[in-house]
Amino acid sequence: MLTIEEMEILLPELTLVAGIILAVLIPNLGDSTLRIPLTRTRIPVFIGGTRFKSTSDPRLPARIAILALFVAFVFSFLEIKSASGEVGGVIEITSFTRMMSFVFYGALLLAAIATTYRMPARLSARAPTEKDSESRAEALVAALMDNRRQVDFHILLMMVGLGMGLMAMASNLFFMFVAIELASLAAYVLVAFHKEEEVGGEAGAKYFIVGSVASATGIYGMSLVYLWSGDLDFDALAASWAAMDGLDPFAVIGVGLMLVAFGFKVSAAPFHLAAPDAYAGASSPVAGVLATASKAMGFVALFRVLIEVTMPEEGEALWFGILAIIAVITMTWGNLAALTSENPKRMLAYSSVAHAGYMLAAMAAVGSGLGDSSTTELVLVAIVFHLTILVLFKLGAFLVLGMLETEGRSHRLEDLHGLAQRDPLIAGSMFIFMLALAGVPPLSGFLSKLLMINGIVNISAGTGSTSADGIIPWAETVDPVFWLAMAIVLNSALSLFYYLRIGLVMFFEAPENAKPLRKALHLRNTILVLTVLTVFFGIGSGADYLLELVKEAVSDL
Amino acid sequence: MKLGENKQEWDRLLFILPFLAIVPYLYSTGESSTDYWWLIIAAPLVFFATIAIAGQVWNGDEFWVNRLKEGGILGLGALSVSLSASIWLIYDYLDAHGHIESGDPFSWLTFDVLTYDSEGWSIASEGFSGIGLGIYLDAVSIMLLFVATFLCFLICWFAIGYMTTDSINDNSNHRFFAEFVLFSMGMFGMVLADNFLWLFIFWEIMGLCSYLLIGFYYWKESAAYAAKKAFLTTRVGDVFLMIGLLMLYDIYGSLDFAVVFDDPSTGVGGAAVDAAMLQTALLMLFIGAVGKSAQFPLHVWLPDAMEGPTPVSALIHAATMVNAGLYLVARMVPFVDVHHHGVAGMEDLGLIVAWVGGITAFMAAAIAFVQNDIKKVLAYSTMSQLAYIFTGLGAALWFFNNDKHHAGALIFGGALFHLFNHAMAKGMLFMASGSVIHEVHHAHDHLHHGDHGDHDFDPQDMRNMGGLASKLPVTATAMMFGSMSIIGIPLIGGFWSKEIIVGKTWYAYFNGADALLGPAILILATAGMTGFYMSRMWFMTFAGEPKNELVDHVHEETPWIKTPLVILSIITALGGFGLALYGMVDWLSGEADHLSIHKDTFVDQVIYELEHAFLPEDEQVRMIGWTTILLSFIVGPIFAARVYGGSLKEGEKATPIVHWLTSLSGKFGSQNVDELANSQFAEALQNRLYFDDLYEWVLGKTILPFSAFAAWFDANVIDGVVKQIESNSVFGSVQIRRVTTGSARDYILMAAVGALCIFALIWGVSA
Repeated sequence: MLTIEEMEILLPELTLVAGIILAVLIPNLGDSTLRIPLTRTRIPVFIGGTRFKSTSDPRLPARIAILALFVAFVFSFLEIKSASGEVGGVIEITSFTRMMSFVFYGALLLAAIATTYRMPARLSARAPTEKDSESRAEALVAALMDNRRQVDFHILLMMVGLGMGLMAMASNLFFMFVAIELASLAAYVLVAFHKEEEVGGEAGAKYFIVGSVASATGIYGMSLVYLWSGDLDFDALAASWAAMDGLDPFAVIGVGLMLVAFGFKVSAAPFHLAAPDAYAGASSPVAGVLATASKAMGFVALFRVLIEVTMPEEGEALWFGILAIIAVITMTWGNLAALTSENPKRMLAYSSVAHAGYMLAAMAAVGSGLGDSSTTELVLVAIVFHLTILVLFKLGAFLVLGMLETEGRSHRLEDLHGLAQRDPLIAGSMFIFMLALAGVPPLSGFLSKLLMINGIVNISAGTGSTSADGIIPWAETVDPVFWLAMAIVLNSALSLFYYLRIGLVMFFEAPENAKPLRKALHLRNTILVLTVLTVFFGIGSGADYLLELVKEAVSDL
Repeated sequence: MKLGENKQEWDRLLFILPFLAIVPYLYSTGESSTDYWWLIIAAPLVFFATIAIAGQVWNGDEFWVNRLKEGGILGLGALSVSLSASIWLIYDYLDAHGHIESGDPFSWLTFDVLTYDSEGWSIASEGFSGIGLGIYLDAVSIMLLFVATFLCFLICWFAIGYMTTDSINDNSNHRFFAEFVLFSMGMFGMVLADNFLWLFIFWEIMGLCSYLLIGFYYWKESAAYAAKKAFLTTRVGDVFLMIGLLMLYDIYGSLDFAVVFDDPSTGVGGAAVDAAMLQTALLMLFIGAVGKSAQFPLHVWLPDAMEGPTPVSALIHAATMVNAGLYLVARMVPFVDVHHHGVAGMEDLGLIVAWVGGITAFMAAAIAFVQNDIKKVLAYSTMSQLAYIFTGLGAALWFFNNDKHHAGALIFGGALFHLFNHAMAKGMLFMASGSVIHEVHHAHDHLHHGDHGDHDFDPQDMRNMGGLASKLPVTATAMMFGSMSIIGIPLIGGFWSKEIIVGKTWYAYFNGADALLGPAILILATAGMTGFYMSRMWFMTFAGEPKNELVDHVHEETPWIKTPLVILSIITALGGFGLALYGMVDWLSGEADHLSIHKDTFVDQVIYELEHAFLPEDEQVRMIGWTTILLSFIVGPIFAARVYGGSLKEGEKATPIVHWLTSLSGKFGSQNVDELANSQFAEALQNRLYFDDLYEWVLGKTILPFSAFAAWFDANVIDGVVKQIESNSVFGSVQIRRVTTGSARDYILMAAVGALCIFALIWGVSA
């Protein structure tokens, strides 16, 4: 049983558990009674029977989920600076874990808000009668179905949150794996949630198959690691790794296999192939979660295994070369494939692959072992900062698509045509998100990219020849790590093309359907807030504040 | 009912009360004004975006159009924040006698950079932090800050009345107001910047906005052409400015005012600065200033810029952009002031500045003789008056460089004082001319019942006016004071500063600057010419009998337009004398650290100032001063009155002073100048002395062929390369997307391949 102190530090997660339980119970409250056997006395048990009107309101699950996620989000935020504690030997709470759960819950909260429009609960829904026309009947059935699915969807959403939150605070490899699976399995279902749409089911199935292969690979790797060290605690693993004489094949292969599993989670090439299908098939809010929170989860796992466990005190890490190559392939692949994507959701999926590549490159630079503690920290700060602000503009872009989706469209570039005429504010926001993704100053996306590139250059710069008399001769002598920065720069240039194309079609093409976008008040406000924050965290005190927070978190890593 | 013709609109101003409350609130919390300087820039910047976006979203919305005046009220609110914040800053500055800490600079990013030094390439530990934006406060920037914030505020006020009542602007005024406040922001930022780089950035923002604003009626070919011309002409100057800044950076290793002005005689690393090199750099800056302030030979854009809406003319020609060039030249003083670490041997700089000023003053005044467009007269008058200031600054630079610090400071202060007087008067004159044009235009529309078929009618042509004094009493009075200030009628506005400029330029000539004789003669002659063309403009518009029947239908009825005119009339009429009494000239030149009366009593001070102005001790200067007064006060106006003057029609009533003036103008007899007006010289003046034609010819022979080549090169070589990259990328994209077959089996296969590669690599590493 948890002590009071432990419950306090686990408050966000406990809120989610409570949310899940409530979401199961409340809609099922009814007037059912239980007859005590052999008597005529009936005692009310409240579960089942005819549901009470007030508690079976279809909008309730969404409200519970939003409330629970909001509480979790706020508490995570408040505890970023002060968090510390340990529960049950497998959970360790630090600033870093709270920073990451802040990111996770934030992303899920946004998805939950968007879903109230994407999959609305309607009080007015009723069974169709014979009087209704065919199309009307169809719409009514769909509405009824949406009402019935509210509970499932939101429980799954909170489940994803719970899994991610626990995953970030795991101090044990196996516990981390279980938590990842909790989040992943719920996410697979969310991807396939709209089963009446053909593409959703297919995407979910593919995502599940490839994901479970990756998971199996990962857990096989873990078992090898366990065989080698006999312990799965991160600290113990790190100690064994440091004490390892030469390279133990079990350990090395184990780590390699785990790299495959987590590579799938961050959608690194060539394990990313199912991701674009999944994003395109899922509803936009869910795709947004996959692109931000789920990706962040993969990076936390990589942090744990690569930085905490296998990073040597001095010199190059084992995985440096592999990660560098994967990073370059990932970003190039992502950008190239996005270039001709005609489906905005696929385009964003590939863009998120490219972003994974940038962050992997930064991580590889850490693995080169050339940096000192301050430059290493700079790069890690850059990665975590990027993961954090991705929630703003990547998820923001998905929310805009979600807004289009409420009228049943967002899978073709044409659906974005003329958005500026239909809704200038939303189009402007979308454009800002695109610029932030491309890394245009003064937006926050620029800042994080700059920090990453600057960190990589700093790590590598000391290796350049001091006698070179020009920038090019100098660059020739510098460590290959430097070229990772160049790869990011070149890829960014390439990526501008497809990001700006979104702006182009929004502002300069004629809309297919010129009627204004639906109001969707809360979603619209959410998008606008994200837009403002995208700018706010890019300059001045906003950027300083967030960087300070991230630094705090990274120092605890 | 059209907006603005409704007189019950004062409640709209309630919207700006919250804006006005910001600074008093901060003041009441005991904050320091220097920590809030950024408000001056941030408020317009934020509202630029707000107005631009909201105007698109709520275009045509009733509340937006009628209550918020299509963003005008928001713009006014933002500018009221800037104005109140700058007044707060100015108050603190004066209160502290100029000893004021400039607050923390606002820095965006600080990061390490790759640098090259004797050790080779490395990461600089301190890194790059040179783009922090801070403020540099001295009397010059304080004065200009006041001029800019105050006039921008009033002009915005005026523009609400002027723009929103014009049917041609329907539903596009948010564009105007958004660009307007962005422009204002550019000026505020430029004045405050503590760094040449930021100065340049804001300078360019202004350039962009002036392009957009001049071309506000972009569907009119002439407006689009004028905007392009203004942009390209100033761009010529800007390129030189940039070269100059790079040279300065090369010399000092920094563009911070604090670093550069600390000791201009030692450059980066303690090396002594080469005077010739520095002088070249400063001349480059000066060319930039020439372009921005429309001086010879880059003056051609300014008259065309009158294509913009009248508030834009007021904004560009009075409050802001043209003063930017003057400000830049004023910032050159520390370089040449040998009294304070300046670099000796740069007399030529001052002489060149003064010559450019002298030539422009004379030429512009001459061209203004024959202009019939009321705004064009004012445009040429602006050129001419700015040229006065340039001449004064040039003489000041000469004095400073010859270790005559006191004389230099006096004319420097005088020149900047003229900037102040001119800005106030010219801002008001443009607004008054706007009022005339607006009401004449409305009268025309009224007469022809909204029939827009009559496109030949030009509401700006003074030949359609005459006798308006009784129809537009406020405007006529305001314009009278404005013209008097520009002419330099004794005791009114510009008199106090023009006397100093003319007198001291001659003084410089008498004291060894032989080369200054030319500018000195030119500006003396210009004084008389100014008297003529400004009087001519006023008489043609307001005096005499109406030359067009529509004058009877003109009414002065737009309240938004009158208020700024009244405020500025008072400042123009009394401000010059008042500030002269309080030692404005000494304060501006840095000789005194606060504005106050130096004599024991106010009366003593008045007597002292009058003595000083009319009976200076130096006999030569006294002679020059009286010549100036004679030319500008007597000769010019009387000659104008003979040609264009005339009393009003019987029974027409104007304000007393205007009435008296018009009847006086009819008493000098009349003179026919038709013969003169048809002479070849007049025709040359009509054609602006053929400068535009000459430039066009030269450009046609040199730049255009090169442009054609560049276009070819761009279309074929550069685009070819880019297109090749593009097609390769697209090809790669298509190929790589083939891997994404859509089959989960293939995905797993690829993952397996990836895993195998990982193992191969690990094997390679560990082997």
